[in-house]
Amino acid sequence: LIVVTTHTVPGREIVEVLGLVRGNTVRARHLGKDIAAMMKNLVGGEVTEYTKLLAESREQAFDRMLEEAHRLRADAIVGVRFTTSMIAAGAAEFLAYGTAVKLS
Amino acid sequence: VSRTDLAAAIMSAQTKEPTEQQLIAQAYFDGELSATERADFEARMMSSTELAREVAELQRLHVLARRFAGPEPMDAEWRRLDQDPIQRAGSTLAYILLIASGAGLSIAAFAGLYLLEGVHPLVRLLLGLGLTGFLLLLALALRARLRTLPYDPYEEIER
Repeated sequence: LIVVTTHTVPGREIVEVLGLVRGNTVRARHLGKDIAAMMKNLVGGEVTEYTKLLAESREQAFDRMLEEAHRLRADAIVGVRFTTSMIAAGAAEFLAYGTAVKLS
Repeated sequence: VSRTDLAAAIMSAQTKEPTEQQLIAQAYFDGELSATERADFEARMMSSTELAREVAELQRLHVLARRFAGPEPMDAEWRRLDQDPIQRAGSTLAYILLIASGAGLSIAAFAGLYLLEGVHPLVRLLLGLGLTGFLLLLALALRARLRTLPYDPYEEIER
């Protein structure tokens, strides 16, 4: 499965559009990590607790999008985008979406 | 996850001969099953803990391989800090104090409800029910988290 952010796949022709595929998740870390993150917020530097939280969310949303494309028997997902929004303090929502297509 | 950890996980997966179940799980994961086979596999996975774990393990390896990135200079320092006795003892002590404080506050809240004078019995009852409900939900959420942890391949992602 080819996943690209562009709207075309170089060297291949899109022969069928299967539709929108997307995956989302909302994840949180436990209270202990939130407290540790709060302390790092006071002293500066990378807040690794939240770096990890966002990375986990991004990968899970991405996998859910891939799963939907697999179900549609897609050859590629084009125009992939990621968005994030605030749901609750200390929780991250990630949405990955794109267009599932069949290639020549 | 370090390069060595990932290599060890892949080597361990390769040294054993895969069972038929593992091969089908791999085919499912790679999207190689037909629609009927896929639906049949998913129905079996819903009732089989072993099969669900097999797929979760494949997913874990897949996610790790995809996230395979070179270390950054700061990573080594974070690891050294994780092993540092002062850092470890300090954070353990801090967590123990926080948990003890949470447990103590819960007990004090219950005790306070019944020791405070001038509180209407109905209010006392409702507050007691609310507090019990909150603690019960917390315990259930913790139980659910511990039960689903083995099926969560995203826990090992660092960045």
